[in-house]
Amino acid sequence: MDIMNDIEPISSLHRVVKANEDIKKVIRISSGVNLVALNAMLIAKRSGERSRGFAVVSSELRLFSRNLDAAMTGLGELIFSLVRDAAAMQRQRQQHSHFMAVMSINKSMRKWVEPPLARVEARMGSIEEEISRDWHKLRLQLNRVLQLCESGRSLSRSAKIEAVYGGDMSTTLKQVANQIEETVDEIFSTLKLLRMQLAE
Amino acid sequence: MKKLEFIYEDGAHKWAVVARDPAKPSHLIDTNEYLVLNGGEALLADPGGMEIFSAVFSAISAEIDPYTIRHLFASHQDPDVISSLALWLDFNPDLKCHLSWLWGSFIPHFGGTADTFVAIPDEGATISLGGLMLDAIPAHYLHSSGNFNLYDRKARILFSGDVGAALLPPEESGLYVENFDRHIRHSRDFHRRWMGSNKAKLSWCERVSRLDIDMLCPQHGAIYRGEDVKRFINWFADLDVGSGIRD
Ligand SMILES: [Fe+2]
Ligand SMILES: [Fe+2]
Repeated sequence: MDIMNDIEPISSLHRVVKANEDIKKVIRISSGVNLVALNAMLIAKRSGERSRGFAVVSSELRLFSRNLDAAMTGLGELIFSLVRDAAAMQRQRQQHSHFMAVMSINKSMRKWVEPPLARVEARMGSIEEEISRDWHKLRLQLNRVLQLCESGRSLSRSAKIEAVYGGDMSTTLKQVANQIEETVDEIFSTLKLLRMQLAE
Repeated sequence: MKKLEFIYEDGAHKWAVVARDPAKPSHLIDTNEYLVLNGGEALLADPGGMEIFSAVFSAISAEIDPYTIRHLFASHQDPDVISSLALWLDFNPDLKCHLSWLWGSFIPHFGGTADTFVAIPDEGATISLGGLMLDAIPAHYLHSSGNFNLYDRKARILFSGDVGAALLPPEESGLYVENFDRHIRHSRDFHRRWMGSNKAKLSWCERVSRLDIDMLCPQHGAIYRGEDVKRFINWFADLDVGSGIRD
């Protein structure tokens, strides 16, 4: 893991961008779940009576995909506010350094510079609080998505079992069930990686 | 280091300039900031860029109480003119910033709220500074499409923004123009490139030549005094502008 992470402040834009890259990856894979679910429903329909159980599983998979979408939107919104706050923080830091520069030119400027410095620092404080609240929310939301994926996993197991009863469609259904499993696993591992990064 | 110098004094009515800074990093354009004082209030004309805020602020505060500054005047929207706005407002959130209505929704990207800005209409306006009337004189298209000079008829001083600017070599660091012909060589290319309209230029020359001006104070370079003011206006009237692209 990146050593930089240890000293990266929670307000750094770099840190948000890194988290967002993983979230984007998860969003990309999640949109794949929808296709897999549609495919599963189609195949279940084609195989008719022989795969009623599979049809039930695939419609649950559709629901899972929709929930996953909503959860991803929530993650995206949190990232948006983190980016906004990190940018605001950067701006305040800049203001801060300009006022500090006034004092380094002339110590007697302290009396003029202290009030604006205090205002800037107060703003930095409240942005910092906002940012740590958002990271906390992001962690909670991530846990929710992981739980959701847990249910996706059990869906993929059910799909595998149902595939066995698929008669002559069994091989095709098994392929679809594997596809489901792979996609859910991929989301799972990316999310776990992200959670580990955020825990630092 | 930047330093405040008084260029006009009549009791409590004063003009001061924070002139060019030989110590400034060379990748930033050098600027003059002008302070008009009257009746316990002050107006800062073209407060300057964010990067030089600390130098300008300390130069002013070393001489006067910076809280007397109530007004900022921005001749136009350029970063070397007004990108320090957020810092000035951090210092005093009640400051008013006077500028062309044209830039009313652009300048807030540098900072400020709806209460900060006083829009100047195209035909100009007067700004009262402790009872002293300062005229915002239209200088549109010279170079900005929403552009004003600031005229103090009592002090007979015209703050001309980028008009009259000169990009002087470091050895010519004097506050005033001493040798017009030598000085103007450093103005020619600037005006040919930055000033876009001969028609706007002639209108400005015609209007400004009717004003009583003892000092013409540009944002860059040295201040023109006495006969050099007339010389500059005539020189500018004859110059073909909007033609400075090098081939
Ligand atoms: Fe300009
Ligand atoms: Fe300028």
